[in-house]
Amino acid sequence: MLRQILAWIVAIAAGLALGGASAWAALTVGVSGFSAHYGAWSLNRAAGSTAAGPYTRAIIARYGLLELSSREALYFNLERDEHGQPLSESCIYDLAGRDLATRWWSVTLYARDSYLARNDDHAASVDSSRVSAGDDGLWRARISSVQGNSVNWLSSRNARRGFSLTLRVYNPQRDFAPSEDALPKLTTVSCASPS
Amino acid sequence: MSGWGKYIVAALLVAVVTHIVAIFAVPNVLMNVALQRLGGGHYNAWHLGDRVTAASRTIVRPSPDFAYSACPYDLATGPVRIHVAPWNDYWSLSLYANNSDNFYVLDDREARDGADILLIRGGSPPPDHPTATVVESPSARGIALIRRLAPTPDAYAGAAHVAPNDICASAAR
Repeated sequence: MLRQILAWIVAIAAGLALGGASAWAALTVGVSGFSAHYGAWSLNRAAGSTAAGPYTRAIIARYGLLELSSREALYFNLERDEHGQPLSESCIYDLAGRDLATRWWSVTLYARDSYLARNDDHAASVDSSRVSAGDDGLWRARISSVQGNSVNWLSSRNARRGFSLTLRVYNPQRDFAPSEDALPKLTTVSCASPS
Repeated sequence: MSGWGKYIVAALLVAVVTHIVAIFAVPNVLMNVALQRLGGGHYNAWHLGDRVTAASRTIVRPSPDFAYSACPYDLATGPVRIHVAPWNDYWSLSLYANNSDNFYVLDDREARDGADILLIRGGSPPPDHPTATVVESPSARGIALIRRLAPTPDAYAGAAHVAPNDICASAAR
């Protein structure tokens, strides 16, 4: 009798653990499966939508609570460099792009915990009102832990490994069509060797 | 069914139910956390957030380029009136149900001179002579959020100057 009771307790506990773990996995490992991909950028058009499915809604609630629906704004996320490696504070990146067919855009750097990196550089974002294109039609921003001589700087100081970028596109025009070519391109300039 | 089979089936059933409950519960749980963090347990009043910095830990992925005002609303005692004072750059009013759905958005292109909303519970009868746009909320509680584009300290100071003119208050008689 005692053995049966113990077996039921173990079965229920195992079920709870398995169910919890699979839900956690769906909200972490499975995130990319609910997004459209444009090069290294990912987009979930169902963010904030009343038509979002339960998984999309849960993922957005975890990583982007209170995001606007795609009618108002689009949120693109980038978590890996051009080699597929997680973004790291020990690397210097160049972000370059053309002006987007939208009213306003910004790129913001978030640490792995989805909050701004803990530094007092006040360089967590660049936006369309503060950058201008060069002769080649591209605006550029430097992503690094120190500003150096860069004009448009996103500070990765204390962002450690696994930080991400969010591109916000507000009031996109009718002809705004996300594509790998249209969205800003990230290039790794250098990485410090592990000591 | 005999032996270990019934225990394995039971474990799988519990796992499926737990998985589904967890997925459906996450948005509501996180919204309840947000309601507490943004309003401190108080409803139907705007709370202007400090300028977003590295110390901001209220809501994930905040934008440092916006001045945020949040009003956790509660329609239990009746409609809530929401007024948004105009701003000289992009602004929007967005309404979120308690499952995190963004069920309403209005921005300055549609309401250059600000916005007046009467928020009522979905399915309840609208007022006879509404003096504002009537919007139905799918849930009794939720969050109204104003975003004012303010990418510089000066712009944020300007938004903070305008924000006291916003209204979020019970319209119940």
